[in-house]
Parts: sequence; structure tokens; C-alpha cells
Amino acid sequence: MSEVPEHRTPVALSGLSEDDPHLQSAAKNPLLVERVIAFNFLLGIVLVAGFGAAYWVNAEPWILGATMGGGLLFLGVGLVAWGKYLMPKGPFVEERHDLANAQVDRDAFAAAIVERGGGVIKRRKMLGGLLGGGLGIFSVVAIFPLLRSLGPLPKGTLFHTDWRSGSYAVDQTGRRVQAGDLAVGSIMTVFPEGTQDTDRGQAVDQTVLIRISNQNFTTQKGRETWAPLGYVAYSKMCTHLGCPVGLYEQQLQLLVCPCHQSMFNVTNGAIPQFGPAPRPLPQLPLFIDPQGYIRAQSDYHEPVGPGFWERS
Amino acid sequence: MSSDVVDTKRVKKQALGPYGPVGKALGELDDRLGVAKGGRSFLDKIFPDHWSFMLGEIALYSFVVLLVTGVFLSLYYIPSQAIVTYHGSYLPLDGQRVTQAYASSVDLSFAVRAGLLMRQMHHWACDIFVGAIVIHMARVFFTGAFRKPRELNWTIGSTMLILAIVNGFLGYSLPDDLVSGTGIRIAYSIILSIPLVGSYLGFLVFGGNFPGTAILPRFYILHVLIVPGIIIALVTFHLILLVRQKHTQFPGEGRTEKNVVGSPMFPVFMAKTTGFLFIVGGVTALLGAFAQINPIWQFGQYDASRISYAVQPDWYMGFLDGALRIWPSWSFHSFGYTIPFEVFIPAVILPGLIFNLVFVWPALERRYTKDHAIHNLLDRPSNRPKRTAAGVAVLAFLGILFIASSTDVIANFFHLPLSAVLWSMRILTIVTPFLAYPITYKICKELQATKGGGKRKTPNQVSRTAEGEYVATPAPVYVDDQHNELAPTEVPKFITAPPPESDDDGVRIIER
Amino acid sequence: MTATFLKRLGALAFASLFGLGPVVLFVGSAHASGGTAYKRTPYQTTRANAGTPNSDNVVKNSKGVVISYGNSAITYNAPPSTLAALGKALFLQNCASCHGSEADGVPANGTNGAFPNLVGLGPATIDFWVESGRMPAADPRSIEAPRRQPRLNHDQALAIAAWVNSLSPAFPSIPTVNLKSANVANGAALFALNCAACHTIEGDGDALAMGTYAPSLRHIPATQVAEAIRTGPGDMPRFTGNLSDYQVRDLVKFVTTEIQHPQNIGGFGLGGLGPVAEGFVGLALGVGILALFGFWIGERQ
Repeated sequence: MSEVPEHRTPVALSGLSEDDPHLQSAAKNPLLVERVIAFNFLLGIVLVAGFGAAYWVNAEPWILGATMGGGLLFLGVGLVAWGKYLMPKGPFVEERHDLANAQVDRDAFAAAIVERGGGVIKRRKMLGGLLGGGLGIFSVVAIFPLLRSLGPLPKGTLFHTDWRSGSYAVDQTGRRVQAGDLAVGSIMTVFPEGTQDTDRGQAVDQTVLIRISNQNFTTQKGRETWAPLGYVAYSKMCTHLGCPVGLYEQQLQLLVCPCHQSMFNVTNGAIPQFGPAPRPLPQLPLFIDPQGYIRAQSDYHEPVGPGFWERS
Repeated sequence: MSSDVVDTKRVKKQALGPYGPVGKALGELDDRLGVAKGGRSFLDKIFPDHWSFMLGEIALYSFVVLLVTGVFLSLYYIPSQAIVTYHGSYLPLDGQRVTQAYASSVDLSFAVRAGLLMRQMHHWACDIFVGAIVIHMARVFFTGAFRKPRELNWTIGSTMLILAIVNGFLGYSLPDDLVSGTGIRIAYSIILSIPLVGSYLGFLVFGGNFPGTAILPRFYILHVLIVPGIIIALVTFHLILLVRQKHTQFPGEGRTEKNVVGSPMFPVFMAKTTGFLFIVGGVTALLGAFAQINPIWQFGQYDASRISYAVQPDWYMGFLDGALRIWPSWSFHSFGYTIPFEVFIPAVILPGLIFNLVFVWPALERRYTKDHAIHNLLDRPSNRPKRTAAGVAVLAFLGILFIASSTDVIANFFHLPLSAVLWSMRILTIVTPFLAYPITYKICKELQATKGGGKRKTPNQVSRTAEGEYVATPAPVYVDDQHNELAPTEVPKFITAPPPESDDDGVRIIER
Repeated sequence: MTATFLKRLGALAFASLFGLGPVVLFVGSAHASGGTAYKRTPYQTTRANAGTPNSDNVVKNSKGVVISYGNSAITYNAPPSTLAALGKALFLQNCASCHGSEADGVPANGTNGAFPNLVGLGPATIDFWVESGRMPAADPRSIEAPRRQPRLNHDQALAIAAWVNSLSPAFPSIPTVNLKSANVANGAALFALNCAACHTIEGDGDALAMGTYAPSLRHIPATQVAEAIRTGPGDMPRFTGNLSDYQVRDLVKFVTTEIQHPQNIGGFGLGGLGPVAEGFVGLALGVGILALFGFWIGERQ
């Protein structure tokens, strides 16, 4: 644009001369703008090189990020400013040609599909139908490996935990819980013995053990033997979405789920009194054996955790 | 002797042609690909310059940042739930048995050079990515850019929004920390809540009961290969459509339905857009440097019997969490079957409805306005009060759901009871859209009625005469608007004369 | 078979250290608790068996009263009984208006809640409430007293604890935690399982039911951490036989180091609020600043 090759004479075409305002830059003071942009680029170079140096000496993350970020920022600002203030400011226009083609072309396109394709099918309808059937059944069956091979069928897995009649309640280290361990107002997380280190033990069998009294406690009718010496056990899996309900407020006698703030009353069988949980936490029937260990009478009497279709 | 050398040089230079080695190379390219004409028209493409058209670029370039930082991370992260003993520089984890996924993520943060910066840049870029998509979609919606012929692009973009949200969830769940693991547990329960097939789907997706050992490797391959692959394909198609149909523009001086006014692709638009790429990268890097995000070492590894309070998903999933908190406990149970509506409605049906509304909106509007014409000029939002008010109402509804996901933080910060905050959110969710619609409608009508409403007004410069009188004169036009004072013109084909045509044997005519 | 037998024997021996002691004292204290002014309902709290003298280092005075006990992790010391007279005077001045001149509380009356009976609660309880500034309560009728600048100093708190304890000696005594050889990783694991559900994994606290809240742990001294764990103040559950002194020591180490001096190697911690704060910053600072850049890059028309 600056130097004209000697064999040519500069002739503007499409009606624009070289000093047409459209081709001029937008800056009022282009030299000053150029200096500012140059300064930006210089800073950018220094900072990006600084990133290299900082990386070389294993500098702290914030130094790495500040140099790289600042460097990129200055380079970017300079480049934008160049495009915005020092390049032809325009505005320029171009025509939008109709996307749609002429009607005769559209008709030809449609004819290619309808007449050619229709002709083929019309003469061989049965073949077309069979092909359709083949493709259809393929598209159904092709999904099978993607779906069924992914995992086992649920069968009865969701209906049971590993608590059995006589299971010892242990803490996360495997230590058995004794009748004297908890004071009134204490809470701990327990598992059936042997499962405390397994995924299933932590996810499904997790149970909160709360001491709410010094005497045998009844949460609901029919559960008179379930809470010996005031030790009451509920499934730790919230019946809303399965988060561990570890938040116990001992004076309000509430178990609160930290995820969506469902609140369960521990004195009446963990019936939810606020929040989105639909069902009480299942209660684990306990007994204390002659050695003083806390053990389960049986598995939970209902499936633990959130609801699902087959849950009756 | 010297004249021979000069002659050779000149001959060589003339053999290259009037545009030098660049012209020769382009000629070779054209011989093989035939790109000269298309290439020229591509470089001439006009892009309208309005600032609101830059929002989609924020999304595009933050996606580029995600890809670059993501490649780095994928070389160090181990997608395995096998248990290892952590022995690293973070002492509160020393000797703890954690999954390899968690251990490799902590190592990325503490032991890999620039690893923490990359992790944080990646996570900030994701938050920015989804945010930019949302405001870009809002711009497209409120200006009516989704109308014919661009409905397909709207569909592609809406799909990309869903994929971006999903990929973000998959991504922040990969480190297997306490906070994101809780999110995976909630996702499992949501799958379970689907009637008829819930338990089967849950067992298929997770390879069994929760948690299993299959889910993180599956999340990984979805997160680094399948979903980004689909997004890359979709964004390519999105941009191809944009180039083919040309960008929309606001009505104004010299602008019609049949033209595009703005800057040419090369050099102006390329300079600005490449500069913006650097700016997006730079801002993301600065955020990654100074603002800590997702400190997984402080959360500890995920263990299904552990939980923390004040746990929310990343912001773009907040509307789901908020809906789950405020929804009443409506479980349906009879004939030996349970439909947990308290989960199914807020977590499956509600987002399904919202996204379906987004997808069918162009068709809905076409049917309602009976407008099947091609639109290349945009609406000013105030000129379409019903659409604008409806959009604001939906956004307000979603906004309240987002706020509802932080009920406990609000209750703690303002010293309010939890139940009071929750009931406020329930009421606000219903009331706010019904308030937002008429208020927005009214504002639009007001803007329509006001002369020059919504447009920037040229300020006045006030100067004081020697006698103390104040005189106001219109200020000079902003630099940005100067060129708009000119009538738009075509991009010139040549600034100087085109080179003379060569004759048939390929020899150029040289004028001496 | 042998392995299981040995395992059970070991468990029995281990449990007896923690189990039999509290059982004995529980049985004993049921008779020893001071006169109650009102009927205890079945789920009224008792302090019978928290942090009890069940180790070898029990030191008794000439009258057979336990004055200290503990182990290498935590030493529990009863407040000197010589302070009891001063304690009574301070109690009458600062506490009796709510808790009664005999420290046995005031029963619930209509809509007014009870002012708790302090007799038999043990010195650690008294010391915790007074030294954390919660007592004397600024608003006695609020559901949860907040941590404040303490009105009474350490010696005065000990004196009050000494007097109340003299009415009916109980446990736990005031703990002194020895953080040497504490295992911070163990503390982190215990914190995540037992404490994070209320106090959050970052230790910032959060709102709980009915206007109660779990307070932030960012500014609590080591002794008060141990006291809170052992005594379970207010709505906080107490951890007695389910956490050994060594585990409490590890927890105290974790709280006083990682919670109170978090390793924020990634930059500003954003208040430890997690994704809520991150979302605000990402949208306002990230998208916001970039949108402003877009505003500069583009045109206004």
C-alpha cells in the first residue's frame, strides 16, 4: 500500500481513492495510538517472557498466572486497538444474495429426489419396505451393547443392606460400639462389622447411632425394643437424594440433611418435619448383647435411601 | 558483470509476479484447490461491529482455552477409582487412602509445574463459557436473531448450552472430592427417580449400585472425548451457518435486509477477534492466578458416608439445586410402586420443560406472529415488548431458582431462619415471573413512546464564557461512531490497478 | 478362628478402657447429680460420662476428689477448689439472674424456655461457655448465644467453674491439649466424618434449623475446641466414648492449623464458600469484564 511498483500507475478501482475516508484509520492521533499499541506489545512480550522465566524456576502459581495473563492481555489489547484505530475504519458493505435459489433449481432438486427416488421405490415397494425394516431393526439393536453391557440389572440390590440379625455395629475404624460408649446427646456413624472399609458399606449400610436417652426408648408403636438404653439408629442415607444425614442438633432433636435441608425428628422415627424429604429415615432395630455390644436385630424393615419405581 | 546479476534478480522478481512470493504461493494453492475466488470473497466478508455481537466470541474463545488447558490436564489426571495411599506435599492427606483420581488431581495442584494454574484456568474458563453462552443466547433471543433463516443455528446453540452444562458437571466431578462426589450421589438418585426405568438406568450408567468403580472412567471419556467432540462439530457447523447466512445487523444508516454493513474479515475483523482471543485467555489466566477455585485438597476425598454443609453445585447447575430445595415433598406411592415426584419434577421434568421451551421458541413465535419472512435486520428489544417481557419472565424465574440453591448461605449471612428463607424462595419463584412480565412490558412500551428511547444520546459540552454564561454545544461524535457518519461503501477490489493480464503462454507483459 | 478370637479380645480390652469407665461413672453419677428443680424428660441431656478419668494418670487430693487425669494427648484439670468462694461471688453477680442462685436453673414457663440447670455439668462446660463470651448471654431469650468478646477473663471463668463444680463434682475437667505428635491427616479424616456436616468442610459454619447455626471455627482456641467436642454445647452433639483423647487431639490440631490457616495456594480463598462465591466471581468478574472488553471492541450503533 505504501510503495508503488514502478511499472504500474496507481488507479483506484471501485470508486475509492487512496485518501478516501473509508480507508483512513479511526484514530485522531495515529502516531500516539501507534506508540501506545507498541508499548502494549512490549509489555506483553516482557510478561510472556516472564512467564517462561517463572516457569523455569518453578515460581508460585500466582506468578505464573499473572505473567501469562497480563502478557496475553496486553498483546490482545494492542492487537484489538490496532484493528480498531489504525486500520481502515470503513464502514463497508456487501450484498446479501438470496440464499434461496431460483424456483426452477428448487424444482429440479425436489424432482431428483421425488421422481428418481419415487420411481425406484414405486417399482420395488417390497424391497423398499424390507430395507426399511432392516435399517430399523439395526438401529434398535445397535443400542443394546451401549446400554445393557454397561451394568448389571438391579434385581433386589436396592432393597437390602448388609445389616443382618446380630451384626455388630462398628465405627469407621472397625471398633465395635459398646453400650457405655455414647453419652446422651452423642452421635456417631456406624456400619455392620466388616463393611466399614467397602464402598457399599459406606454408601448403603451407613447408619447414624444417636443416644437420646438413658433408658429404653420407643420411637413409634411396634418399635418398643428397637432403641435399647436410648440408642436409636437410623439410616444415614437421606430419603430425598441419598446425602449422608450427619447433622444432628441434640437439643432440637433434629437430624438435618445438609444437602437440601430436610429435617427429621429423631424421637418419633425420623419423620420429616420440614424440607423436601418424603419419607422418614428407616430405623434399624438394635439390641444390646450380654457383653454390652450394640448389635442389629435384623436388616432395615424397608429399603434405605431415595425413592425409586419398584419401591413399594 | 554486475548488470547480469541485477538482470537475473529482476527477472526472478518479475517471474514471481506483481504480488511477490505470496502471490506465487497462492497461485500454487489455487492450482490445486481452486480457492482464489472463494478465498477473496471470504476475506471480503463483512462483519457488523455491534458490541453485543462479541458475546458469542467470549464463549468461543473460552472454549478454546478449555481445550488447550484441558489437553494439559488430561496428560496428568488418572481416571481410576482404584485406592492408593497418598504421599505428597499436602500433609493433611498424608497416609490417607484415596482414589487415584483424587490423588492425581491433588498432585496436579501441588506437584505438577503450572498444574494448579492450568486446573484453575480450566475451571474458570468453564464458568465463563457457560455464562457467555447464556448472555449470548439472551442477546440472540431479545433481538430476534433466531428467526428465519437462523432457526437451525438457534437449535445448534441450545444443544451446545446443554452439552456445556453437562460437560462442566462431568468435569468438576472428575477429581472425586467430597463436594463433587456428593453431586454424583445426587445425580444417581435423580436417575433412580425416573418412573419404570429409573433403577435400571442407574445401574447401567454406574455399572451397579452407587458408587461402584465404573463411573469416573466413564465420566472421563465422556468429558474429554465424546462431549467435546460433539461440541466441536456443532460449533463448526454453527460458524459455517453464520458465515453462509451472514451475520444479522441492527437497523440503521445504510443498512437494509439485503446488505451487511461493517468491517471486512481481513484485516480488521481478524485483528479484533484474534486480539479478543488473547484477551479472553489473559483474563482467564489472571483469574486462575489470583482467585482460588475448587480447592479439592481442602475438601478431602469423597467418601459416601461423609458430607459437608454449604455444598452447592457449580453455578450453572444451581437452578436444579434450587428447584430441588424448594420443591415440596410430593411423593406418590400406591399399588406397590413409588414415583418420587419430589425429585422427578424439579430435576427431570422442570429442566425438560425449560429446554423444550427454548428449542421450540422459534416455531412458537412463527406460529403466534404468523411471520414467515426472512429477517436479517434485528429488533430492538423494546420494539418487541411481548417477546422481551416473556424472556425476562423466564430469566427471572431461573434467576430465583439459582438464588434458591444458596438458601443456607443466605440464612447464615443474614441471620434468618432456614425455613423463612425457603418459604421466601417458594413464594418468589411463583410471584417474580408474574411481576417481571408486566413491568418489562411497560418499560418496553415506555421506551417505544419516548423519542430516541434506548439510543445513546450525544452529550453536550458545557463551556463558560468570560462573562460567566454557560453555553451547551453538542459534543463531537465519538471516535467509535465517526465512521458511521459515512455512507457504507464496497470493499475495493484493488487499491492500486490490477496487474495486466498475462498472454497465453504465461509470459507477463512488462512495461519499462 | 484364632485371629477372630484375638481380634475380639483386643476389641474388648480396648473398649473396656473407654466403655467400662463411663459405665461405672454413669451408674455412679445417677446418684451423685445434685437436686434437680424440675423433672427430666427422657430426652433431657445429661453429662454423665464425657471425657472421664479412665486412664492411669488420675491424681486425687487428700479427700479422694479427682483433680487431674489424662494422657499424653490431653490432660484434664479440675479448677482449683480455692477459687470456689470467688466463683460463688462472680456467679451471683453475673449468672444467678438467669440460672438461679443455686445454679439449678429455672424451669420452662409457658412460652419461655428453660434456663438450664448447671449443676453436675462439669467444669469444662462452664469454662467453654464463659471463655467463648457466650455467657453471660447478651440476649437470654435468643435460641443460640453467639460467640462474643468474653466479659469474664480466664481466672474468673475458672473460679465460676470451680464453684459450680463444687456443688456436684462432675466431668469432663478442663482439657489442655498437647499437640506434639498429633496426626493432622487423621484429624482431617475425623473432621470430614464428624464435624463437616454442620461446620462445613472449610470450617466456616452455616445456618441450621429454627434459627440455630453452627459457628465458624476460624477463631477458636485449642482448649475450646476440645471442650466443645467433649461437652457438646447447645445443639452441638457431644463426642465422648466415640472419640478417644488421641482422636480429639488430632482434631484440635487439624482445626487450629488447616482450618484456621488454610493453604490457599490458588489465590484468594473467596471466603471458603465454594461454588456460590465462585459463581459470583466467574460471572461478575469473568464474564462481566470480558463483556466490557466486548463493549470497547465493538460499536455502539
